[in-house]
Amino acid sequence: MSIPEVKKTPVFGFLTVIADPQHGLFGGYLLLNRLGRPLEFHCTAPVKPNRAQEILYGPTLDAFLYGEQIGQTLLDHATAQSQLLCTDQAAVMCVRQHVEIPVVLVLPDGEGAESGAFPENGQKTYRVDPAHAPEPHWTYFTCGPNRLAVPAEVERDRHRVTEQWSALPETFDLGEPFVRIREAIAEAQQAMP
Amino acid sequence: MNRSAGENSLPTCTGTLRVPIVGSWFASPPPKVMRIVPAAERRPQVLKSLVVGRGSLVEVGPQPMAVAVPRFRVSVRSFRFTEASLPDGGIELPTPSPSLVNNRLRPTTHDPRPTKTSVTRIKSPGDVIKLEDRLDYLLQPPLESILAEGALGFPARPFAYQFEGMAFLYPRHAAILADEMGLGKTMQAITALRLLVHRGEVRCALLICPKSLVSNWEREFRHWAPELPVTVIEGDQARRAWQWRLPDVPLRIANYEILVRDREIFQSLEAPPCFDLVLLDESQRIKNRHGATSQAVRSLARRRSWALTGTPVENSTEDLVGIFEFLAPGFLSPDLKPRKLGRMVGDYVLRRTKDQVLGDLPPLLVQDETLDLTPPQRASYRLAEDEGVVHLSELGSAVSIQHVFELVIRLKQICNFDPATGESAKFERLEADLEEIAASGRKAIVFSQWVATLKRLAERLRRFGPLEYHGQIPPPQRDAVVRRFREDDSRHVILMSYGAGGVGLNLQFAHYVFLFDRWWNPAVEDQAINRAHRIGVSGPVHVTRFLTLDTIEERIDHILQEKRDLFNTIFSGTTAPKKLGLTQDDLFRLFQLPRPADKAA
Repeated sequence: MSIPEVKKTPVFGFLTVIADPQHGLFGGYLLLNRLGRPLEFHCTAPVKPNRAQEILYGPTLDAFLYGEQIGQTLLDHATAQSQLLCTDQAAVMCVRQHVEIPVVLVLPDGEGAESGAFPENGQKTYRVDPAHAPEPHWTYFTCGPNRLAVPAEVERDRHRVTEQWSALPETFDLGEPFVRIREAIAEAQQAMP
Repeated sequence: MNRSAGENSLPTCTGTLRVPIVGSWFASPPPKVMRIVPAAERRPQVLKSLVVGRGSLVEVGPQPMAVAVPRFRVSVRSFRFTEASLPDGGIELPTPSPSLVNNRLRPTTHDPRPTKTSVTRIKSPGDVIKLEDRLDYLLQPPLESILAEGALGFPARPFAYQFEGMAFLYPRHAAILADEMGLGKTMQAITALRLLVHRGEVRCALLICPKSLVSNWEREFRHWAPELPVTVIEGDQARRAWQWRLPDVPLRIANYEILVRDREIFQSLEAPPCFDLVLLDESQRIKNRHGATSQAVRSLARRRSWALTGTPVENSTEDLVGIFEFLAPGFLSPDLKPRKLGRMVGDYVLRRTKDQVLGDLPPLLVQDETLDLTPPQRASYRLAEDEGVVHLSELGSAVSIQHVFELVIRLKQICNFDPATGESAKFERLEADLEEIAASGRKAIVFSQWVATLKRLAERLRRFGPLEYHGQIPPPQRDAVVRRFREDDSRHVILMSYGAGGVGLNLQFAHYVFLFDRWWNPAVEDQAINRAHRIGVSGPVHVTRFLTLDTIEERIDHILQEKRDLFNTIFSGTTAPKKLGLTQDDLFRLFQLPRPADKAA
């Protein structure tokens, strides 16, 4: 008699960084179950690069801070292992180098296209770590009401994202959890001594 | 880019170099990232900034210079939450009917692609102190998602402000939903309760309402939460005692009178029930905190206390203090100034008006119809007032508030009908208006504070098919009266007393409301008006408030206006009124009578 395989409960991670002009960068990582209920929340104390670091890292500073220093640190603190990592900041995408799970960029409404080049003219562009790497090409796609992008070099992630997406309600708004993270960071910031 | 730090021919290198940590170059914690600074960039100010920034400059050769950058120290705060287990909250609930589930929150767009639904966030109540608990609220999904995940359908999609009302009640242990009448407080409370039951946070709830509204609440529960079993506490004492003892009853409904009567039953129980939620409808009933009703309600063991009322302040700030004795005993003091009171209760009270949230609700057209008394009425009125005032003056220091009240009531009744001839300026106008209303197939509600007046009207308005709804109509028959009024096209008018018909009824199919005489405070009048002007009304609602000139009615009207000002002061932050309402002093002043010195003391 074979033992039935225990299906792993899907967990979804949402990672973002808030830039506060006064305090610096706050990272927040929220883990949700498939119903959108919170399982874990991790947030960083503010991180503020000094002048030397700004000079040394140059244009790669954001990617290094957002992705490696804040992103990876937050991921390391989580107990649950997420099957999909979502972010709303391109600079965070470089965390993909350090994890095996697919990392997807959730685009704001109206941004991005079904596929093709990065948004043009007047749209903000991002440079993604590693340093000196060429700007990535993006693969755009949609899941339910969400417009998403993954770097073209890991296009296989698109299929993995789509696969994980099927566990969520069809109208699930992947941008909504970032609102929660921002509110939670603001709340935690107020509570700090 | 991979280069060793030892290479020295890198004059054009400007990027970040990741290098293995070498020997004892670096202090603990070891830096990880190095940058080769080419000779061209080795300007003094750059090097200075690097040193000030605590980077370590390391000479690695005659040309370039390696800068070791300390790794950022990122401290993390972690919070973990218990995974919710919907819908197995501990109570066996039937699945909502397919028709309800089909009406669950779906987007109404024609775009075939799924769209993002509207979002109502659940905020942490102000009295939650621990950061972990506050985050637990903040990080919950939007209310729409929570409702959708439990397949909790609705017979009609709620308005956005109603979602906000649910999100307000849902996390609170003490709350007043004080929306203006007609905005759906009942539905909001039922849904918030329903959600808590499905989440297993409420297993035993008690709803207390006026006796006349018990059947209305039953109906509303069947409509909005058909899967919730409801037990109405009723019958003789033995039956009620049995009903109170029943285990595993998710929701009981009791009226205020029964609750007062059953205090002895509670005291005799070995283990009186502890309710997860006690919900008061028309909570102004406990505004007198020394009254038996208030004491009975406050004696209930409970975890959550919610109150519904469209009129949290009817007369004075004491009314609100009385309700708060149930919600948060001792939180408010009657001595507080209205403005400070408003600030203090801000997190506990949610109050919206139709103007604020229902821009598309058909308008409420209020008209004060000032009328002259007919000559015989005027003669009777003058005689009664003169005799009454003389009588009060003769009483001297023995005059009491009761004497004044008797005269006020006498005069108000003459303003309705002349006792000698039966003539009535108000009736003549009402009859004329009803002619038009009936001819156009519309329906009207007429309110009076006296049953005798209503009966007199019924007699004279027979051709309009009047129905009566007041204290002399037995409660079991009242639903049938409303049904006939709604369904029978030949019934154009319903005659209601403020007491019996002023609360909880949905009469939005009537487009005309007449206040034949005025109640003592405006809040009760507003409640009466809002029987018709509420969600679902299909056109403008015309309200006619009869007021006879140069009479006691006109003088009382000034005082009512001051009460409205008081309400606005507490809930809108406007300036405080000079007087707080219909005090005993005011009553004496109605007749220019000095208040007896002993009573003033």
